[in-house]
Amino acid sequence: MAMIEATGLSKTFRVTKRRGGIFGGLRSIVDPEVRRVEAVQDLSLNVEPGEIIGLVGPNGAGKSTTIKMLTGILMPSAGQVRVAGFNPLHQRREMAAHIGVVFGQRTQLWWDLPLIDSLHLLRHLYRVPEERHSANLARLRTLLDLDQFINTPVRQLSLGQRMRGDLAASLLHDPQLLYLDEPTIGLDVVAKARIREFLLRINAERGMTILITTHDMDDVEALCQRLLIIDHGHKLYDGGLAAIRERFGGERTLIAVLDLAEVHTLPRTAEGQPYLAELPEGVRQVRLDGPRVWLSFGKNALPAHELVAWLGARHRLKDVTFQEPEIEDVIRRIYEEDLLRQEVEVF
Amino acid sequence: MISMLHIELRLYARLIRMQLRAQMQYKVDLVLDMLTYFLVTVLDFCVVLIYFVPFPTLLGWHLGEVALLSAVTSLGFGLAELFGGGIDNFDTLIRQGDFDRVLLRPVTTLIQVSTTQFRLRRLGRITQGIGAFALSLFFLRGLNLIWTPLKILVLLLGIASSALLFVSILLLGATICFWTVDATELTNILTYGGREMLSYPLTIYHQLMQRLFVFIVPLAFGTYIPVCYVLGHALPFDLPDWLAFTSPLVALLFALAALAFWRFGVHRYQSTGS
Repeated sequence: MAMIEATGLSKTFRVTKRRGGIFGGLRSIVDPEVRRVEAVQDLSLNVEPGEIIGLVGPNGAGKSTTIKMLTGILMPSAGQVRVAGFNPLHQRREMAAHIGVVFGQRTQLWWDLPLIDSLHLLRHLYRVPEERHSANLARLRTLLDLDQFINTPVRQLSLGQRMRGDLAASLLHDPQLLYLDEPTIGLDVVAKARIREFLLRINAERGMTILITTHDMDDVEALCQRLLIIDHGHKLYDGGLAAIRERFGGERTLIAVLDLAEVHTLPRTAEGQPYLAELPEGVRQVRLDGPRVWLSFGKNALPAHELVAWLGARHRLKDVTFQEPEIEDVIRRIYEEDLLRQEVEVF
Repeated sequence: MISMLHIELRLYARLIRMQLRAQMQYKVDLVLDMLTYFLVTVLDFCVVLIYFVPFPTLLGWHLGEVALLSAVTSLGFGLAELFGGGIDNFDTLIRQGDFDRVLLRPVTTLIQVSTTQFRLRRLGRITQGIGAFALSLFFLRGLNLIWTPLKILVLLLGIASSALLFVSILLLGATICFWTVDATELTNILTYGGREMLSYPLTIYHQLMQRLFVFIVPLAFGTYIPVCYVLGHALPFDLPDWLAFTSPLVALLFALAALAFWRFGVHRYQSTGS
């Protein structure tokens, strides 16, 4: 059974414009000005148990609306959804007991009370048997290293500590599926790494299915085997991370360190910039700075080792490093150049 | 069914305890708040009493009788403010988008919403109500009022019904927030206005107002009608005096109507997300 099964999911909002003035509020109820916004259109998605899937897209792409429909907060305008075997719409409360949700920007903890109070109260909210709850709590205390601040009021916690508390809070009832909305937003590098490590661990050890929305491409690279890109309410891409880099990654860069003495003997352009002459087809010199030279080459031009061999035969190479295209750049290119959408229209 | 209710009530008590513990973090604030609120409500009560400086009675009601009515209204309203704090504050929950979290938990929405706040400082009004009640008994000495167990029962049920009616009005106001958060003043007219007006005998108002509070928003069933029964005053519109015993039923029906409207509102929120 798939953990998430969605077919043809759509959501159209009727946005009412607010009127000002004393009676404006009342008039907006009686006689609203309506505009239709298609937030999500015809989205289909299948997530198997144990997957970690990243949901990315620019602001306003429909990520939140999608999450809200998958968690039972919002009813879809059209389409079918089943999450953990439940219909989020008609079985919201039953489903709620089987999913965990973390909003990076909003805590579900009781602000003025020590973290431990919230963690205890959640047992009653989710009706978790006491033994299971204390076992889970003990495990999460160790895994997330909560003990040093578990008796501190939540409002005094750092953002990273609070996020660890929120993660524990959302996992105490043994959910089968964890939704994370921007879980690393605003965290420092160490805190981010810690959260990622934890998520990978619960995924590996407990087969936790995780759906994560994020703007942080490092999150995606560290966590997600699979990526779902949406924009303007449409699904643009659903597939592996390597595949997308392969398809849209553009060019790789080779950075060669030459002998500085040799650089002075190189031919120069009209502007007096030294350059490597007669480069193989598809290889382009991007920059030259001191002994370093940046060469960019398409993945179809020639294999990397041949380029190294070519360089070695003609120049005195001291060192060679490669730069893969950053996934962030790849995805930015997809949004900006509308790569996938064009493709959809062609077929 | 009964055991479900039991579980929900225990959960409600737990959530309220969390709120109380949170408020205990700011003890000085709490004491000051309670004291100020007490003084404000005492002033309200004094305003009612000042009428009787130049005039001996108000449409046949004596000082002690109006004081009793005002005290009972204060108690009902005070209880509603205490237990309905979260409902009253619902517009903030909606504005901050925190209602989404409510929908993500396997617990009835109303239990969660009503426990987002428990305004302990509202005990100030209840204290004032108790004081005013004692004072009204003092003023009533000369009137040969005989207290029977039945009268006490009617009065107690009246206070409870009054609290339920006020909470139901707050719930109606909260539900409107699913459509717009700009119209919260609308129900304040009914809650604060209703409390203010019902501190006086209903018959001093225009027929239209009397009908409103008896037949449409039956706040009169919470305070005015039970107090009339206790004091032996005739009811408006020639209504029979046994109606005083129907207060809990009327309040319950009104609450059920408000609850149905709330459910409709939640449903709407889920289809519009705003």
